[in-house]
Amino acid sequence: MKTSLVLTLGLLLASSVLAAPLADQGAVLQVLKTIDYRQHNSGDYKSLAYLEQKEKDKTDIAREALIYRRDDDEKLMILFTKPKGEAGKGYIRLDKNLWSYDPGTGKWDRRTERERIAGTDSRRADFDQSKLVEEYDATAKGEGKLGQFDVWELELHVKPNTDVAFPVVKLWVDEASGNVLKRQEFALSGRLMRTLYYPRWQKLYSESKKAEVWYPGEIRIYDEVEKENSTIVVLKSVDLRPLEANIFTKAWLEAKSR
Amino acid sequence: MGQLFLIAVRNLVSHRRRTLMLGGAISGVTMLLVILLGLLNGIRSTILESATTLMTGHVNVGGFFKVTAGQSAPVVTHYQKVLEVVRANVPELDYVTERGRGWAKVVSETGSMQAGLSGIDIRNEPGFRHVVQVKQGSLDALNEPGTILIFEDQARRLGVRVGDVVTLSAYTLRGTANTVDVRVVAVARNVGLLSIFNAYVPAATLRALYALNEGSTGALLLYLKDIRDVPTVEARLREVLASAGFQIMDKDPRAFFQKFEVVNRQGWTGQKLDVTNWEDEVAFIQWTLTAVTWLSYVLIGILLIIIAVGIMNTLWIAIRERTREIGTLRAIGMQRTGVLAMFLVEAFSLSFAAALFGAALGLLACAAVNAAHLHAPLSVQLFLMREELHFAVRPSVLVGSILLITGCTTAISLIPSFLAARLQPVTAMHRVG
Repeated sequence: MKTSLVLTLGLLLASSVLAAPLADQGAVLQVLKTIDYRQHNSGDYKSLAYLEQKEKDKTDIAREALIYRRDDDEKLMILFTKPKGEAGKGYIRLDKNLWSYDPGTGKWDRRTERERIAGTDSRRADFDQSKLVEEYDATAKGEGKLGQFDVWELELHVKPNTDVAFPVVKLWVDEASGNVLKRQEFALSGRLMRTLYYPRWQKLYSESKKAEVWYPGEIRIYDEVEKENSTIVVLKSVDLRPLEANIFTKAWLEAKSR
Repeated sequence: MGQLFLIAVRNLVSHRRRTLMLGGAISGVTMLLVILLGLLNGIRSTILESATTLMTGHVNVGGFFKVTAGQSAPVVTHYQKVLEVVRANVPELDYVTERGRGWAKVVSETGSMQAGLSGIDIRNEPGFRHVVQVKQGSLDALNEPGTILIFEDQARRLGVRVGDVVTLSAYTLRGTANTVDVRVVAVARNVGLLSIFNAYVPAATLRALYALNEGSTGALLLYLKDIRDVPTVEARLREVLASAGFQIMDKDPRAFFQKFEVVNRQGWTGQKLDVTNWEDEVAFIQWTLTAVTWLSYVLIGILLIIIAVGIMNTLWIAIRERTREIGTLRAIGMQRTGVLAMFLVEAFSLSFAAALFGAALGLLACAAVNAAHLHAPLSVQLFLMREELHFAVRPSVLVGSILLITGCTTAISLIPSFLAARLQPVTAMHRVG
């Protein structure tokens, strides 16, 4: 009863912010909170992901992977299933460490959390829960149009002593739905590094959250340094039912890789 | 002895065809040996010269800094303190330079490549100018921040020339993306494997890319007055740096970039120093030298066996042809040792003369190739560490080759000579044909 009351109040607050000009800093923060809240699931999350990588002078590579998340414990696991050469490779985040596993060598390598996933333009954060409020301070840069959508333009700067891959991020948030439609990420030098488009947002009711969980059905990632490189991520078959309790272990990933 | 030598020479001259064939074979093997050893020495001296200038000192004090257990960077913080300890404890030191170390993506308008970046202060790099031959631009321009030196093939791959701007993209120690735009100020001639993945920027530019402060560098490269002091200096530095309170990594005789996997797997954070020598840092190319050395030995071994069989056969034929002569010599009083010596001197004379001729031919061939500045195929350049074929024939190698071939062929002729000496005079004189 108490939970549903809090959720209802949260949604009411969120809907009051949506479709209105961002009057003050509180309103900007509320937009970020809404984005984070909508994508967060208090239970488990599993989805099928397709990654299509395009690189200059190289053949396009398509990969299929399973994404597992347990947001409350900050757990994340990515297991590649296709193509054959990549099948069994995976990533798992354990206690703020990202480990990658290669069944070919049977070795685990500790990686930085901000590393590219499987050499594509995607990163761990693209598959993980949104943590904009925790990582960034935002300021409103005004309202505008993105195609036919009315959007809020926000500029986010990393909070002190927080490690992120991109210290400056620009967001274009749909005023009507509150979804991020476009995201630009900048390096420390101020150079634009990646542009991401979110053309399709989908939602699913979560029993554990007792509310809807939003996820991007598709993410188009454009490398702004090597202009001809891009990656398309398609998320499908999202399942919010509880996963096995012991799934987020190296042993489980190794077993699945065999 | 003089008489034996005279008999040997007359016999060799009288059997001119046989002598020429066998002598030619021995000369050929000696020539090949000289050329192969010249090539090996050429590669070895190039590695020593190029690698110890471009990527390593005679002894290096490098290390890793880890912000988190899984995120290491080849950085030495507060390097001035390390330098003080080095200067105070290494009287063998000729000079020392500090080099930034990094790995970044170099992106141009038309291409990109991954490159190992070295942050250098060109004013303090006296050896650099001797090894790096600038084809376009100027090394001095590398004094200015925001500049880069790349090699010919890299320039081709990126589609850039002197004056063009490329972007360096990398992650800082804390994993934040960063970029620096740099202007190509020099394009140098390729130096084999090292020029595939090495590029040079001013130390300040590398620091800016990795958001490092002035007190940080990649490694201190120590150049000694005498390279033979390397083991002593290395061992001493390990001790004195440890006593000065620095954490020292266990000895791992590999290049620094081959250690990331191991270092990232270890749970420590903070700074650890790594003391290495030049051979450790070029260990990844040393295998090629070992492979070429062994291949040469196998090849020379096979050729020596062929020559040995040839010598034995020829001497067998000579003994058969001269059986009656041996019998007569034995009958008029020549001792068995005399007969043995006669055949040995003949084999020695032939081998020595042929080996001498072969060595001279080998030396000439090496000199001709060096003078012609022949370009090696790209795949070969990787191992040669330079564009051109270069042979370094030392006098010791020349003498050694002559002695080896002469010694082996003379030794192998002991068997037929010994058998000839054992012939009974009566049997030998009655031998028909």
